[in-house]
Amino acid sequence: MSTLSPAADSRGAVQAGPRPGARGVRAVLATLLPATFWTVIILIILLPCLAFLVLAVSPRLFDQGSSYFTLHFLGSVFTGQTAVAIGNSLWVSAVAAVIGVAIGFPAAWLVARTDMPGRQLVAPAMWLVLLVPSWLPSLGWVRLVQLDGVMYRLGLNLPIVTHAILGPFGVVMVLGLRNVPFSYLAISAALAGMGQEFEDAARVHGATRMQSLRIVAPILAPAIWSALAIGFAEAVSDFGVAATLAFQGNFQLGTYQLYSAINNFPPSFPVAASMAWLLVASVGIPLGLQARALRGRSYAVLSGRTRQVVRRTLGRREKLLWSFGLGMFLVVALGVPTFGAVSGSLMGDYGGSFSLTTSNYSAMLSSSALVSPLLRSLQYGLITATVTVGLGYTAARFLTRARTSATKLLDFLLLAAVAIPSVIFAAGYIMAYNLPILSRLGINLYQTVGLLIIAYCASSLPTNTRILVGSVSQLQESLRDAARVHGANPLMAWIRGIAPLLSRPLLYAWLLTFTGVFLELPISQLLYAPSQPPVSIAIQDNLGNYHFGIGTAQSVAAVLLALAIVLVVLGLYRLIVPRGWRRIGAANN
Amino acid sequence: MLKKSRVRALLATTVLAASAVAGGISATASTAASHPTLVVYSAQGYDKTVVDAFSKATGIPTKLDDNSTGPLLTQIEASKNNPNWGLLWVDGDTAFAGLDTQHLLMRGFEPNVNWTPLAKSVIPADKSYTPTGLTTMAAVVYNSKVVSAPPTSWQQLLSSKWKGAVGMNDPSQSGPTYPFIAGMMNALGGESQGKAYFSKLKANGLVVNPTNGPTLQALTNGQIKLALVQSSAGVGAALGDKSLKVEYLKPVTLLPGCIGIDAKAPKAVQMEAERFIEFVLSPAGQKAMHAGDPTGDSLYYPVIEGIRPLKGLPPLPSSKTQRINPYKWGPLEASINSWFDSNIK
Repeated sequence: MSTLSPAADSRGAVQAGPRPGARGVRAVLATLLPATFWTVIILIILLPCLAFLVLAVSPRLFDQGSSYFTLHFLGSVFTGQTAVAIGNSLWVSAVAAVIGVAIGFPAAWLVARTDMPGRQLVAPAMWLVLLVPSWLPSLGWVRLVQLDGVMYRLGLNLPIVTHAILGPFGVVMVLGLRNVPFSYLAISAALAGMGQEFEDAARVHGATRMQSLRIVAPILAPAIWSALAIGFAEAVSDFGVAATLAFQGNFQLGTYQLYSAINNFPPSFPVAASMAWLLVASVGIPLGLQARALRGRSYAVLSGRTRQVVRRTLGRREKLLWSFGLGMFLVVALGVPTFGAVSGSLMGDYGGSFSLTTSNYSAMLSSSALVSPLLRSLQYGLITATVTVGLGYTAARFLTRARTSATKLLDFLLLAAVAIPSVIFAAGYIMAYNLPILSRLGINLYQTVGLLIIAYCASSLPTNTRILVGSVSQLQESLRDAARVHGANPLMAWIRGIAPLLSRPLLYAWLLTFTGVFLELPISQLLYAPSQPPVSIAIQDNLGNYHFGIGTAQSVAAVLLALAIVLVVLGLYRLIVPRGWRRIGAANN
Repeated sequence: MLKKSRVRALLATTVLAASAVAGGISATASTAASHPTLVVYSAQGYDKTVVDAFSKATGIPTKLDDNSTGPLLTQIEASKNNPNWGLLWVDGDTAFAGLDTQHLLMRGFEPNVNWTPLAKSVIPADKSYTPTGLTTMAAVVYNSKVVSAPPTSWQQLLSSKWKGAVGMNDPSQSGPTYPFIAGMMNALGGESQGKAYFSKLKANGLVVNPTNGPTLQALTNGQIKLALVQSSAGVGAALGDKSLKVEYLKPVTLLPGCIGIDAKAPKAVQMEAERFIEFVLSPAGQKAMHAGDPTGDSLYYPVIEGIRPLKGLPPLPSSKTQRINPYKWGPLEASINSWFDSNIK
């Protein structure tokens, strides 16, 4: 039976005794791998972020002001509307993170451990929620509840609902619902690694079902804390909701203020950088709580002997209750954005009336301008997802080792990168990689496909790592050691000992990155190679040039294509991967 | 010993990684250095059609960064110590005045064309940018089935008749909206008078939406009765919905679509950029501008004598228009938008 043993103990359980020559190679690799990893992290995340953030105190460094050192801009963000907006962002993000876990945890549990009807639909639905850009649900809500909107036309005169949705309540709800898939994926992956034995042990000792749940829930703590941290960081950096729902309700969020600072002309990069510092500092809150909660514990429970789970049979009333709850979540999380997108794309007159037309889809299909960007974004997504999963796995391995200053720094760096809005990230790339000295050396990276993909990888890596860290923390080192004892080289030891256990989380992380990059906008806007626009730019081109209906039709088409790819990849996984790999973490039906 | 070897390995890896990055991109770099390409930064709906037509007519390879105005200006400001653009082509001259003040625009170029009187009024003295078309801000758009007697002056919008019925865009998100606000301040005698006007408009129930699209949507779904939007957006909407009408109140502010050349671009690129501007203002270029976005940005008033606007545009008598000084109002944009954010939204 697997035990909650300290990671260091399990690592030292088997001494394989390699040959002297092999030991030397291993020693070099053991040094080179972390060094290479850290070099990559410094180049793709730390350097660009610092290049922008330094503008808060030294705008002269990049020709963005006259001072080499000033605290004026940092001081300005603690006053007036900016301070209020930052404060709003903090509490809204905290509540949204909790909502994400409060819904994502039971959803993951019900799908993985029970015979709830319709559970097969939950995972694709979660992916769909992830695929939908955050402005789409906001748009749907606005159309539903605004004065003279659909709700009023249907005879429901409920101004209290309008005020609630177009304000803090609506903002928290939409951001919270957007966090559910992150929690669901992180906790599902961790649940997959936790066999039946813990629940059985609790039950054998007389625990009720609820008590056994309370006993095993702490085993999932790394995944839950990861979900909370990522939910907070994602919400604090979101702009789609800040610019729509929050804007309509005159409820200012930090990201909106930050974008305003950049969008005004001339843009005030030092003010934006100062606000970004606050957002970065804010992720210290969930990280601090996470560190305090997990200190000194090991969560290595995933082994080859992990027992397959037997699904719990729900009672009739339970089935009804949980199905209804999940159904409501899907209606709210998917139905509303679908309404927003469909109403926008099927209505000719700016979506204001109920007269339907397919003219936007006809216009979209008659133009070839979307096909090339679609194919281009597909390529970018495939490359980025593949590279990022490799980096993400490596980062997750570092994070789950014994806590050192380096792992703490990496942990903060990765989460801080999520909290930095993408436009800041992209502007930092321009600052860092478009220096005159680089051009004099013949290095022109800015506005090349290469730099765009590197930036995509860097922006995807933190979330990717968070998704993987829950599962990786459950791995017992003895698995690989056992394979090595039986003569496998390091690569084969990983393939035989680790890959079967991590194939599903790695697949999820790959899909998450792919879908995130496929419709990514802010980084694309600032870094894309001229004349080679990705699909998000092509869509924005129409949305920004009054062709709202065609732009929305393109969004619908792109989301459906991305969803089709997700389904194909999941299908291929089922077909190609050995049955034994899929069985790990799955439940008996 | 172990520590030393690790440090050496770390250093070696860093150097190797940096070399790999540098080597990997050097091919691109050398190509770019030996054959500088004209890159057009544009937010115009017809830009791709024009760029393709230009390349076809002249054989000059041209790349297009097609974006909203905000990201384009962010790119230019973020990369101003090592710019990558050759031409900037967006609506509104306040941003151009700001770039000119920073010495980021090439001065002294004026194509040899026969300008219209309105076009002459928006050409800067130092010839640092060139108008390519005119729109106005703000046009008043209304639904003729709902509104039988539209307002005839800006002051009427403050009356009880239009309480809660007027909508406009947010200047922080909609590029053309700041020139409208600045234009009202200019017409009313100054910044404080303009602020007083917008404060009264707010007290009368002004609805602020992010951009032209949502403001027009608020009009078509009945939330508001009058939409104050860019003329090309309003006329485009009216082409699709015959019940929508467009009026210009006096004075309406001219919003020139402008194009400017990067002052730091290589000489060869600057010469190609000049040819691009000459092409845009030629009959072939104007034809491409009209064809590129016939229900959107192509609905502009031409700046060249003899070129007719597309059908559907209402007359634009010069007696109704005003031009704001972009060098005066441009530097005030951030502070006025911030005031609008705090007091009007």
